[in-house]
Amino acid sequence: MHHAFKLEENEYNLELSRAPAGYRLHLADRTIPVNLHLEDDGSAVLTVNGRSEKVLVATRGDDVFIHLGGVGYQLRYEHPLQRLAAQAQGSAEDHVRAPMPGSLVALHAKPGQTVARGESLLVMESMKMETTIAAPRDGVIETVHFAIGQTFDRDALLLSLVAMVVEGKKS
Amino acid sequence: MNHTTNSVPDPAVLQATRARAANWPFRSVLIANRGEIAVRILRTVQALGLEGVVVYHAADRKAPAVQLADQAIEITGATPVAAYLDAKQILAAAKSSGAGAIHPGYGFLSENAGFARAVAEAGLIFVGPTPEQIELMGDKVRARAFVEKGGFPVAPSAIEDDDPATFAERALKVPFPLLIKPAAGGGGKGMRIVREPGQLKAELERARSEGQRYFGDGRLYVERYIENPRHIEVQVLGDAHGNVVHLFERECSVQRRFQKIVEETPSPALSPELRKRICETAAGIAREAGYRNAGTVEFIFGAGGEFYFLEMNTRLQVEHPVTEMITGKDLVLEQLRVAAGEKLGFTQEQVTSTGHSIEFRIYAEDASRGYTPTTGPVLLLRPPQGEGVRVDSGIVEGQDVTAAFDPMLAKLIVTGRNRAEAIARADKALAEYALLGCITNTAFLRRLLNHRAFVDGQVHTGFLDAHPEIAAQPELDQATLCKLLAASALMTKPMRDVADLVPDMHAAIGSWSN
Repeated sequence: MHHAFKLEENEYNLELSRAPAGYRLHLADRTIPVNLHLEDDGSAVLTVNGRSEKVLVATRGDDVFIHLGGVGYQLRYEHPLQRLAAQAQGSAEDHVRAPMPGSLVALHAKPGQTVARGESLLVMESMKMETTIAAPRDGVIETVHFAIGQTFDRDALLLSLVAMVVEGKKS
Repeated sequence: MNHTTNSVPDPAVLQATRARAANWPFRSVLIANRGEIAVRILRTVQALGLEGVVVYHAADRKAPAVQLADQAIEITGATPVAAYLDAKQILAAAKSSGAGAIHPGYGFLSENAGFARAVAEAGLIFVGPTPEQIELMGDKVRARAFVEKGGFPVAPSAIEDDDPATFAERALKVPFPLLIKPAAGGGGKGMRIVREPGQLKAELERARSEGQRYFGDGRLYVERYIENPRHIEVQVLGDAHGNVVHLFERECSVQRRFQKIVEETPSPALSPELRKRICETAAGIAREAGYRNAGTVEFIFGAGGEFYFLEMNTRLQVEHPVTEMITGKDLVLEQLRVAAGEKLGFTQEQVTSTGHSIEFRIYAEDASRGYTPTTGPVLLLRPPQGEGVRVDSGIVEGQDVTAAFDPMLAKLIVTGRNRAEAIARADKALAEYALLGCITNTAFLRRLLNHRAFVDGQVHTGFLDAHPEIAAQPELDQATLCKLLAASALMTKPMRDVADLVPDMHAAIGSWSN
């Protein structure tokens, strides 16, 4: 089993095991005694290496939100199976995602169309500013996931290119 | 308890006004807005014993204003924003709810003269200035000419409308660098700085197309661009009987993309003499316009102490709370009172300034990604509390932050006996301000607040651009990372389940590594 969390752009591998009192956190280079005691009001007492402090925690799906030391953080649990699948599926460049929340203003490509790397695919608007999204590689448009005028969140899948076949990788 | 800050409103003023409000020409006020400002206005409306009505789009169904209002009427639109801009539906809601007055808040229809006129034509009272005053100040070119004619300071400029054929030629005669602005503009949209005469033509074209796109009006003007300027504005208040007072200034120099983030009063840049002069200039401009209700005169303030009229906002401002905290005046109460036809209840001499107040706009945005908006569910919300801490909020737990509206969620207003005390209280309050489910700018605001230049009061409108390190995500230290991973692992069921499968005894034998 390989568990991991994503924080910002970084991925961290870790394991958790039981200890006589609480748990052990296994990181790449060390093992640390940890525990988390949840209170009724959404706050929690986090103990790391024998030192306790109050934190606020909440989860939704695979997202973990933590308020620690006066700062809010968001981490995402990466499912072991999904990580494997993602690695097998090839390039993330098959998927064009929204760099920020916004709405679709113009569409320059339709399914079946061949596009060249850098070619403008669509124009989105966010904060009254228009952003042009360009093709990440040469390819063929498979699906356009939004219509003009529709709004989306950050990281929403806007457009898919036909999956790139990588030699020597079969799944 | 020994309070070191004003209580807003003054309980005696509230009680007396509440008694008189029984005879006002309206007994019910419809608030044509949303978010924190709808809550803010409702609070005073209801404290005066009046009925508070709100309109809302389905996207705001769970919003606190809808819960707090005496009546809430759903409005629809092609987009959520379009619903709040639909004057017809809002007037119909006022009619069906029996409201006698409409408070527009800020943004949306607040500076729309046509709406103010339609409200009056429907036999209702518009809580704001006259349509003519909105029109005058809404046209930046006309407003500027009006102010100049009254003998008040305006920046050297060239105005396209004066003679469109010679505009570019006249623009070249204004001392460089120049700032191009759309005549119908506001909010920083379509503005461009030109440093080289050779760039002027291309930049004029760009500004014209942006003006056309945002405001449906491509007319422009250029003025001398003040390097590293401060943005200082003055709150004014007038009644329908010719009385006008100012309620001191607000410094709004900390901006990103021409939008304010932090506002405070008094301004750390003004000497007592300069403060008096800028405040009296603003009151003079408002008096010249016969201004009625609450308004704000904005100035651009240069490093040498020179200041020029920028524009006048004919509405309640986002940052009005800092003025309330140092003067003890409830501006919404004063607005309603003026709308009811009463005279101002105080003279200029009776407006005093006590302590120091700073407002922080809590935005759903990621400063480290170019201040792009963030979205997500409000899973847990813990606003700060304490002496001198006021939170004007438009969100509650269980709501979703979406891309449908402006990313401002709430405002934190912190007041102290002096600036240092306000800053210290703000740092603590921002650290305590927890919202889980959607990234906010509170950590960024703390970095800003603790920056040497902010502490010293040495900021200008280009400050954040000059210091990109404030917006950047700081490197995460190992100890914090370790705590975050520990908490995350312990909060994630699949991980805990796997760990719990191995009995304690086994685990106790020794380190289990992969």
